[in-house]
Amino acid sequence: MSSHREAPEISKDPVADNTDVYAFRSPDRPDTVTIVANYLPGQAPAGGPNFYEFGDDVLYSIFVDNDGDARPDITYEFRFRTEVRNPETFLYNTGPIASLDAETWNRRQLYSVTRVDRHGRTVLGDGLVSPPCNIGPRSTPDYASLAGAAVHELGSGETVFAGQRNDPFFVDLGAIFDLADLRPFQNLHLIPSAATPSVDTLATLNVHSIAIQVPISKLTRDGSTPTDVMSPKSVLGVWAAAARRKVRLTDGPLQAGAGPWVQVSRLGNPLFNEVIVPMGDKDEWNAVDPIDDDDFAKYVRRPELAKLLPVLYPGVFPNLAGLDADRADLVAILLTGIPGGIVGGFQNFTGPKLADMLRLNLAIPPASSPSPLGLLGGDVAGFPNGRRVFDDAVTIELRALAGATYPLVNPSYTPDAAVSVVSENLVPAAGRYLPAFPYAGLPHDGFSTPSP
Amino acid sequence: MSKLSRRSFLKTAGVATGAALVGGAPIAAAGEREPELVASPSPLPKEPLVAYVRDAEASEVTLVHGTGEVTYRDPLLVKRLLKHAAPHRRGKGGGVA
Repeated sequence: MSSHREAPEISKDPVADNTDVYAFRSPDRPDTVTIVANYLPGQAPAGGPNFYEFGDDVLYSIFVDNDGDARPDITYEFRFRTEVRNPETFLYNTGPIASLDAETWNRRQLYSVTRVDRHGRTVLGDGLVSPPCNIGPRSTPDYASLAGAAVHELGSGETVFAGQRNDPFFVDLGAIFDLADLRPFQNLHLIPSAATPSVDTLATLNVHSIAIQVPISKLTRDGSTPTDVMSPKSVLGVWAAAARRKVRLTDGPLQAGAGPWVQVSRLGNPLFNEVIVPMGDKDEWNAVDPIDDDDFAKYVRRPELAKLLPVLYPGVFPNLAGLDADRADLVAILLTGIPGGIVGGFQNFTGPKLADMLRLNLAIPPASSPSPLGLLGGDVAGFPNGRRVFDDAVTIELRALAGATYPLVNPSYTPDAAVSVVSENLVPAAGRYLPAFPYAGLPHDGFSTPSP
Repeated sequence: MSKLSRRSFLKTAGVATGAALVGGAPIAAAGEREPELVASPSPLPKEPLVAYVRDAEASEVTLVHGTGEVTYRDPLLVKRLLKHAAPHRRGKGGGVA
């Protein structure tokens, strides 16, 4: 998946597992940017008796680089604490939860938001309530209202939400990791099989989202709201991470943490650690910062999947098979941003420093008719210009890896005909997304949703 | 672990972990020599010796190594650890050396 359980160590620590990051100009509030960082992948909605929650012992961070040096200029930190009203019951709730302060809600989470920038650390909000998980019609009869009440407008101008959501990411995971089976032409695979429709693996699973909507002027280096697409000042780099204390002590039921925060998960571009970085380096990638991504650039220049496709699909990708050159197109998309002059009227270049960040050009307004294929679909407001919740990141990256974007740096190269039909062939169901903050849809409820 | 003396425990653990405890100063010399800051610590061993102050007021320090654990009351050691942890220490109770 984008970054769900993508590395050996973090796959064992779901509470800290950063699965996706999205950054886009808010379509209904275009003077703001919305950033969504998701954690805790693959939640079966029937999660009782201990429903999913953020880690009280995890530091969740969203980073923004506004001067192209791959170092955070602005960080939003989120810390959670769990409150148990009645430890004498095994129940998450002892009756319907009608509001965020309901006495019947036995175990709830509150959180703080801290902004760190050149002025220092500022606590923007504390005691903010996360909504309960969506349990079912008896326990959470009006979930939309509960979730709506958990959208907090802070006095500083930011709006935040932290809680369970329908996972916006969609992928045919079973196919991808069954030796890169691409269902449109699985009959052409080295190990062929009959054609079957694509499967949306995450269609009925939830995730936990941390979403923040920030006025653009609070993110740019000079406090401006950019209008010049070609100006370097118009581009932000965005990524997210999770960290744990260096030492964790367990003594019977008691647990304590000590020492500095140590990063255990991070994410900028979707699928970077998942399909670009090899197994032996995945844990290290999660532990280091974008400023250190020089070490991983070789995997972008010569991606393993681009070598595998011609082998797995004999005769289907002949031009890709003959492409024996560094993939400068992928380096631009994933590590530097796309410089001006390559795609007419567009750039999201942050400079030569190689770093995995989502890069968002703030001067590009939200699309009136967005394409889930983003830039490949002619929509410069979508991935890899930032990333919206509905962008088809898997199809975009599969096509790019298969050679679709190589002509951007070498116009003499012709992508294989098959590249244009490489697709997830998935259309997320209604309700997967919302038109307003936090844009990811309401979570599936545990009573009504069958097990995946 | 119950028969393990503090001296033998530290001696055994010290072979593997060297400077993991109190900046490399032998415990017997506690208070006699100032520890030095290590700018580039050695790589983490497979089984580090961990010493943590369980209760500062009671001067209790727990040593954990391998599958063993032992807690001592050692005012001198705790005082020394707290002195060097002071700039970084938060809250009541213990800390980790």
